[in-house]
Amino acid sequence: MAFFYVSSFLGLQTLGKYHLFWPAPRFQQLFAIIFRLHNREHSAVPVDPNTTHMLSTKTRSERRDGEKREGMARGDTSSPHPFSLFSAGAAKRRSKNQEEPFMISKRNGIQPPEKPLSVEEWEELREEFKAVSKFEYVMLEQMIKYNSSIDVAKSLLSMVATRKGDISYNLLVKYLALCIKQEQLAEVFDVFDIIKLRFKTLEPGAYSLLIKGLSGSDRWREALLLLEEIKKVMTPSKANYGDCIKGALNNQEINLAYELYHEMLAKELIPNLDTLQAFFDTGKCVKDDQLKSELLGILLYLRENQIYPGETLMQSIKLWFESIPGEKWKGYITTITNSYSGKCPVCNQHLETIHLNEEEYNILKAKIIKDVIQGTDVFRKTTPQELEEFRNFVENHPPYDIVIDGLNVAKVSNRRSESQTLLDVVSHLAQKNLRLLVLGRKHMLTGSPNWKRPIVAATQKKADFFFAENVSEDDPFLLYATLHSGNHCKFLTRDLLRDHKACLPDNLTRHLFFKWQRGHQMVLSHYWPGKRIKFQPIPTYDTVVQTTGDTWHIPYDEQLVERYSYEVPTKWLCLQRKSPPTC
Amino acid sequence: MITVWTHHLNMMFFNMLLRNIVRHSVFPVAMQKGTKKDLFLTTPQKPFPCRTLILSPTPKKQFSSNPTEKLDLDGWKNVMKSGMQEEVSETSESEKDSTLAATRELVEMWRLAGVFVPENISEEELKTLMECSTKSSKKKYLKFLACKEKLKKASKAKQEKRREAKMERLEKAKENGTSEMKNTFLLKFWSRSFDKVYNWRTAQAMIFGQPLVFDMAYENYMSRREMENTVNQLMETEGWNRRAVDPFHLHYCNLKVDSPYHKEFVKRYGEAWDNLLVTVTEQSHTDVFPRDKLIYLTADSPNVMKTFEHDKIYIVGSMVDRSIQTGLSLAHAKRLKLTTQRLPLERYLQWEMGAKNLTIDQMIRILLTLKDTGDWMEALKFVPKRKYKAFSDESVYSKYKTNTQSRTKIFEFNGSQERVKNPFASSRNSLQRQKKLVGN
Repeated sequence: MAFFYVSSFLGLQTLGKYHLFWPAPRFQQLFAIIFRLHNREHSAVPVDPNTTHMLSTKTRSERRDGEKREGMARGDTSSPHPFSLFSAGAAKRRSKNQEEPFMISKRNGIQPPEKPLSVEEWEELREEFKAVSKFEYVMLEQMIKYNSSIDVAKSLLSMVATRKGDISYNLLVKYLALCIKQEQLAEVFDVFDIIKLRFKTLEPGAYSLLIKGLSGSDRWREALLLLEEIKKVMTPSKANYGDCIKGALNNQEINLAYELYHEMLAKELIPNLDTLQAFFDTGKCVKDDQLKSELLGILLYLRENQIYPGETLMQSIKLWFESIPGEKWKGYITTITNSYSGKCPVCNQHLETIHLNEEEYNILKAKIIKDVIQGTDVFRKTTPQELEEFRNFVENHPPYDIVIDGLNVAKVSNRRSESQTLLDVVSHLAQKNLRLLVLGRKHMLTGSPNWKRPIVAATQKKADFFFAENVSEDDPFLLYATLHSGNHCKFLTRDLLRDHKACLPDNLTRHLFFKWQRGHQMVLSHYWPGKRIKFQPIPTYDTVVQTTGDTWHIPYDEQLVERYSYEVPTKWLCLQRKSPPTC
Repeated sequence: MITVWTHHLNMMFFNMLLRNIVRHSVFPVAMQKGTKKDLFLTTPQKPFPCRTLILSPTPKKQFSSNPTEKLDLDGWKNVMKSGMQEEVSETSESEKDSTLAATRELVEMWRLAGVFVPENISEEELKTLMECSTKSSKKKYLKFLACKEKLKKASKAKQEKRREAKMERLEKAKENGTSEMKNTFLLKFWSRSFDKVYNWRTAQAMIFGQPLVFDMAYENYMSRREMENTVNQLMETEGWNRRAVDPFHLHYCNLKVDSPYHKEFVKRYGEAWDNLLVTVTEQSHTDVFPRDKLIYLTADSPNVMKTFEHDKIYIVGSMVDRSIQTGLSLAHAKRLKLTTQRLPLERYLQWEMGAKNLTIDQMIRILLTLKDTGDWMEALKFVPKRKYKAFSDESVYSKYKTNTQSRTKIFEFNGSQERVKNPFASSRNSLQRQKKLVGN
């Protein structure tokens, strides 16, 4: 087994030559095994005994499902899981009950033959599928889908060559895709030579395929030439760069790899995670100070751009750290939740706080006013008079502890009238001696069945109110009031505020906003009228790649958990230099 | 032994090819060059050793007839190598145009790869293509051009067909001999005469008609394509208005002279722009009309339009919005402190999908129908069918109908479209009623 994945290319090549001795199904099975081995190359490395992560995720996700079902049975509108709104997988769990059954694709009619056919046999088959226009093309596409042996594809091309005396570019490229999918290097070279002979330039699709095919072979330098060709007409994709970088790294041309990597960053392409992984994997074997600083640079890049590595990249990072000679790094895998009050359970180190520093806070505040509230036109969300009125209102009141989105909170429960729900929540918070501000709209004052006047009046005694016009948006006011009150002030809403985040001009501010949001947003998780009101815990630490010099803490995405863009991972890699504490 | 077999098969393969030669132009070229001549006689070329495949002896049905049957799987490569280099459209390779030429070649290769691209592309279009920053935007633009080209071709073919049919008809008429002059009451009513009638009516509307304002203030919020689409829709709008029984007096407000908008109008209308029976002004609608008479129609408005009012001036924002900029026209109305209204789409239609904002030409047809009949059902038939499932219940509808009727009475005299179509219907009804009275 080990032999296969160390030199999987070689294994495939030999297979390609001798496969005729096996009956077809067995042959396909073997392919499957090899491919899985290849993919899991990095998860198959020896793992720390207390990190049976693969297993544990599975059991946990099952448990969560169970919890969810229980929650639904109780008819609770909010999700009862212990993790916050922003932790990885939360959105997936929420959406599960809305999922519709899978659509089955209609076009799976043509099934490619299992054996190569002669020209006559192909002609027969063609007659059979007369209705299908571009028969050869559709057939070749199906072959890619079913991963047919390339001999079958070759026999198809022979038929086309006999019939037309020529094979179209389109068909050649499809065949190339099949060869690359099966890593048939000799064939890739042949097709490359043919294409080069016949066509002066190619289009990006074929270039990408060729780069992918060539960069894994000893003709990898030609892939670089192809990359230059693409640059003539457009920006190459991150996958193009990634393939070239991998080719360079495989052949120990590390400087060239750096160059390509920095060129790619300069073009504002975000590298694929497996490209970064290739760097760390190289680092394991090559001991070199420059490489080390490059790798630390990559980690800082992850930090700055709030990118979280996947499980395989995390393993590569861990192995690389542990392989640095003379530094005695040791990596542990752990889950950090609020119960540890922002400490890493392995090394007891405090994680970075989620609160913004003064400067960041002021940047965010200014941007929220400029881009979210005013935007291109103040009138789209409010009016200048109203904005002025609100500013005066906030200036003339001492800072608040919690700002409540009245309409959002009121609609949490569908069993209780809206005004009553709001009164419940407000009085619950008021008992704790917190200064509250409730934002609402003027229609709440008109005394409709949902908003009974006496109840609204009772609520008004316990908190300050600001009523916006019915046509104005209240969320921007919520953000402004919270930011104005200072760092201790929180806001209460179930809204994810994604549309407001989208109004922000650049990535940096969006990250700031998201960080601030995670640290300041309260979400009502349990609401049983008259009985229990509970909020989701707010994390005290920031989920981002971080270091103190002697330690690194790297959050990562588990393979089996689907994370949405507004969620953060819960699993961490803890790296430390000294011997671990006994626990 | 095996090699001999391969040779044999190779020979068969190329013989088969030879049979095809007559039909294909590529192969003879290779023959003339003489590069491949020896191939028929000697061993296959070195770089492509033919891999042969012996099928296992247990395959199904017809293949099992010859157990040692072999297939030549690599022969096609030789065929490909023998072919000439593909002719990519020849372009002048001067230094300046090198990127232009590269882009042209890219388009050519995309076509070969099966991407939907136009056959002919002008220099100007190529330059626009180069300005597209991403691959997907390039492909999108090419698709747009290809669609345009295809439509143009199709309409040309159709035109050709029609012309031929006409020629045939004329010839037949000639064969039948001298066709006698028909005896008719009227001369042929040419479309020119129609135009005159329409123009009279529109001119009348410009003096006595109800104004309808198109607010052209959205130029900066639209892309080039969106702006062109808006001009398209406005041209259609003007056409619908001109043909109406009782047209509006159209105002294009906030239209700045020499803005791209204005230029596009002049380009599309040509000479006709100056003769258009529309009031075009750089002024805002609030400067032209009293503020309390204005009503801004926008889908984002909280107020629902109940009836069409004949003493008000409605404003339609002339904007095509592909990027869903919500609240834009509402913001404009808020700034000028104008009353806003939206169409009662939810009340009369069971909405299914699509945005509630309608195109400008749909808006004017709805407004014209409302103006003539006051009938919401009739007017909302111009909402695209794909957007709604059905009209709401009759009972709901009739509840509101009573509301509108008091207003419609006033101008039943103006001649609703119904009346024009069937002028005798109602008089016959009244006659019958009279008879009944007499009978009693």
